[in-house]
Amino acid sequence: MKTLMVIFVSLVLFFANAPSYGASLYEGKTITIIVGYKPGGGYDRYARLIGKHLPKHIPGRPGVIIQNMPGASSVIAANHVYSIAKPDGLTIGTFNNATVIAQLIKVEGVRFDLTKFAWLGSAASDAVILSVRSDLPYRTADDLRKAKQFVIGTTGPGSSTHDFPAILGEFGGFDFKLVPGYSSSADVMLAVERKEVDGRAGSYDSIKPFIDRGLVRPIIRNRTSAPGIEKLPVDENLATSQQGKLIMAVNAVPTQIYRPYVAPPATSKDALKILRDGFANVLKDKELLAEAEKGKMTIDYVSPENALKVVSEVLGQPPDVVKALAKHIKFGE
Amino acid sequence: MKRLLNLRGALSLATACVAGYALYASWSWPFRTALFPRVIALPILFLALIEWALSVWGSEKEGEGHAVDFQFTDTVEPALARKRTIAIIIWTLGFLVLILLVGFPLAVPIFVFAYLKIAGQEPWTLTIALTAISWLSMEGLFNRLLHLPFPEGLIFGLWT
Amino acid sequence: MLDAFIDGLFIVFQWQTFLMMLLGIFLGFWVGLLPGLGGTTTLALMLPFIYQMTPVEAFAFLLGMHSVVSTTGDITSILFGIPGEGTTAATILDGHAMAKKGEAGRALGAALMSSLVGALIGAFALALAIPVVRPLVLSFGAPELFMLAIVGIAFISSLSGQGGRALLRGILAGLLGLLFALVGQDPQAGVLRFTFGQLYLWGGLDLIPVLVGVFAIPEIIDLAVRGTSIAGELPRENLGRGVWVGVKDTFVHFGLTVRCSLAGTFIGIMPGLGGGVAQWIAYGQAVQSARTNEERAGFGKGDIRGVLGPGAANNSKEGGSLIPTIAFGVPGSSSMAILLGAFFLLGIMPGPDMLDKHLVLTFSMVWTMVVANIITVVVSLFFLNYLAKLTLIRGTVLIPFILFFSFIGAYTSNNHLGDLLVLLAFGFLGYLMIKCGWPRAPLVLGFVLGRIAENNFYISTIRYGPSWTLRPLVLVLIALSVIVLFFPFMRFKGRPLAGGNVQ
Repeated sequence: MKTLMVIFVSLVLFFANAPSYGASLYEGKTITIIVGYKPGGGYDRYARLIGKHLPKHIPGRPGVIIQNMPGASSVIAANHVYSIAKPDGLTIGTFNNATVIAQLIKVEGVRFDLTKFAWLGSAASDAVILSVRSDLPYRTADDLRKAKQFVIGTTGPGSSTHDFPAILGEFGGFDFKLVPGYSSSADVMLAVERKEVDGRAGSYDSIKPFIDRGLVRPIIRNRTSAPGIEKLPVDENLATSQQGKLIMAVNAVPTQIYRPYVAPPATSKDALKILRDGFANVLKDKELLAEAEKGKMTIDYVSPENALKVVSEVLGQPPDVVKALAKHIKFGE
Repeated sequence: MKRLLNLRGALSLATACVAGYALYASWSWPFRTALFPRVIALPILFLALIEWALSVWGSEKEGEGHAVDFQFTDTVEPALARKRTIAIIIWTLGFLVLILLVGFPLAVPIFVFAYLKIAGQEPWTLTIALTAISWLSMEGLFNRLLHLPFPEGLIFGLWT
Repeated sequence: MLDAFIDGLFIVFQWQTFLMMLLGIFLGFWVGLLPGLGGTTTLALMLPFIYQMTPVEAFAFLLGMHSVVSTTGDITSILFGIPGEGTTAATILDGHAMAKKGEAGRALGAALMSSLVGALIGAFALALAIPVVRPLVLSFGAPELFMLAIVGIAFISSLSGQGGRALLRGILAGLLGLLFALVGQDPQAGVLRFTFGQLYLWGGLDLIPVLVGVFAIPEIIDLAVRGTSIAGELPRENLGRGVWVGVKDTFVHFGLTVRCSLAGTFIGIMPGLGGGVAQWIAYGQAVQSARTNEERAGFGKGDIRGVLGPGAANNSKEGGSLIPTIAFGVPGSSSMAILLGAFFLLGIMPGPDMLDKHLVLTFSMVWTMVVANIITVVVSLFFLNYLAKLTLIRGTVLIPFILFFSFIGAYTSNNHLGDLLVLLAFGFLGYLMIKCGWPRAPLVLGFVLGRIAENNFYISTIRYGPSWTLRPLVLVLIALSVIVLFFPFMRFKGRPLAGGNVQ
């Protein structure tokens, strides 16, 4: 009788504790977020912000640390998270959204498959826009078409400052003169101020302060929208050919998953569920949103299913299309 | 003297080879990508060959060609100097190998201990104290505080 | 403007701001001292904490930390021959040489005092220049920046040493440095150059592993060979008491100190030149100030001017680099980029307003750097004596630690084992260069300026066509680079300088 009581009580206790299985998985542990860039950059800041608030949304309140693994535009970090990091649910990676392009055009050194990562989603999406210096007379896309040798400064092929206007110029009927070689997008802005170049393309988030300051005016955007620029003409609608439209669409994909977060491929289903829920919830966390607002970081949750869908669509393109894409879309720093 | 000359010749020849390789690699690049490498590598090739010729056949006056730089100590006799140079190079490379084998965090205290005991022949108390300090700064500062990613040593990879 | 100038000073001394600044100084002291704790990494880690502070407190903290790093980086360079920071490598050449002669105290005193003078002159030059600084920066476009890089490269002739053979090797070293700078993805066509299929090399070679390799490794080898302490067996008059001799030296060679400070400020103001350049140009100027052949030969072996020049320049450029950051939103260096992040975090928009509506804030930042430098130098002077005594420790005890810090210092560039390989490869190269009489300074100069030269050349040519060569400022800079290039020969051929030419 006594033994039965003991067994009964232990069973009760066991089942009473069962729901906190998640807690025991992460309790006392530390999650590592691997960032594919050096400290201080955009990806790093997002990771640190998320890392600060994530413990509240994961049962067991694990610690979170950030590790920086810069190199090759975060291909090194992506490779690491794909094959070297242990799939024990304690590692998350965030890296360049353009890695999907890198995989698509088969950049040498890519040793990952984005469709096989255990996706957590994306923390933000970002529009890419083309902006012109305010004192120039161009206000609409048609005005811009009339311009001869409109000078756009860029940081080199593979960046949004370069590929977006390059494709737009080629397939949209614009006379753009691209000047690559600026060390950073901020330097391009300075060149705009110096009247050395007439316009700059790039992420809306990074150009917005200069729009607010009155230095430049946004004129065309890609298909990802953002508050304030919804009315701008979309590049795909300005394309003069079907192929151009497709290339622009593919080029726009990375911006829809602007801050991707993934876990290693073989991560267990239980751990992945906890991480996904935690990720989705932390991006609704009031404190995180307040801090993000202060730091001018847009937060825009993209679910893992959507992210995977978007990525698979791009990677599923037939080979001849990929060939055409590779001529215009590059991968770089 | 001839040995020294051979070293200078070797360095200039190696430089010429580097320049030659740069020119060869730039063959298939588009014009703008190749311009600067070629403009730089061509003079290197030319000048390096001159330097090589001078070091093999010319004579080096003692005061001439003093670089704005230091020169290695000559107060130690050459044979001993060579021995010590080779020793320190081996220790340095050994440190690298140790890092590859057991990972950075473990390699540092092991190396400090080994060097102090074997090369330095320091007393036990000092060795242990300094090893502890090095281990503390490695673990505490770089591992725990800054969370630098350190790849696992190869030895540990063999386990799994 | 004068009231903003004074109000800025008062803000610094409010107790919360002051406390934050002291905290920043304390942190910055260690960050600069320890190779491996890059100023950039730590600044980035501090960023979340400044969420809680008011803007002025946050800047006091960040700037307090940032201003101090160059000064204490000089200390490591002098004592151990490891560049504590990327900006303090030039100090190793003469500073560490002096330490090896038992003159560590003198070198430290000189480095600290010149750092202070540099910071002060930089700050005041900046304050005075604020009305003209915007037009100044705006008139320096890509063609002018290219020419500035050429002027920098022209300093190779001064950094080589005397005699035709030395010049030959100096040019070889400089060209090699330029070639090494081209490793990585080219910004014109996106082609990978000299990467040998290695992902690690996509972004090119990082400055720190190269610097630590070229400078620290040969010093370690030398130390091991000598078998003594760093200070060696020579009599050590200038070790402890020498600190005040060093301080006085700053004023004995005041002209040089001022020139280098102004050069550093100017280089800091120019966006895109990067932090590593100022110290080498200052060092070149120091070498040029030598009056006889024998004096010139003494550089690299312990001439105090080789410490004064870079010491002043790398502090004055910090003040200068504030300008592109706050007036244009273009960070002058990676640490400034983080400062910029702080700006956005606190809701301040860098731009012309900073020199206008928010002038008080700007001045408070300048004053913070001044006060932080003064505090650091005064405090350090008290225990420089003890620091100098570190050079008396047995080499065998120091070597494992110097190697440890060299390795970790290089590793923190990319957190990649490739950093260590680069470190050792360049260490080997540095060793060979010294053995064969090839000067190392031109190598570093070429390496630092290579990309700037190439990028701006293409921007100029694509944007303006060949006509950029005829721009007035470009012509002036062409003349300047010719003067700099031929300066050593003009000086020592015994001929008086051609009339009208500036020295």
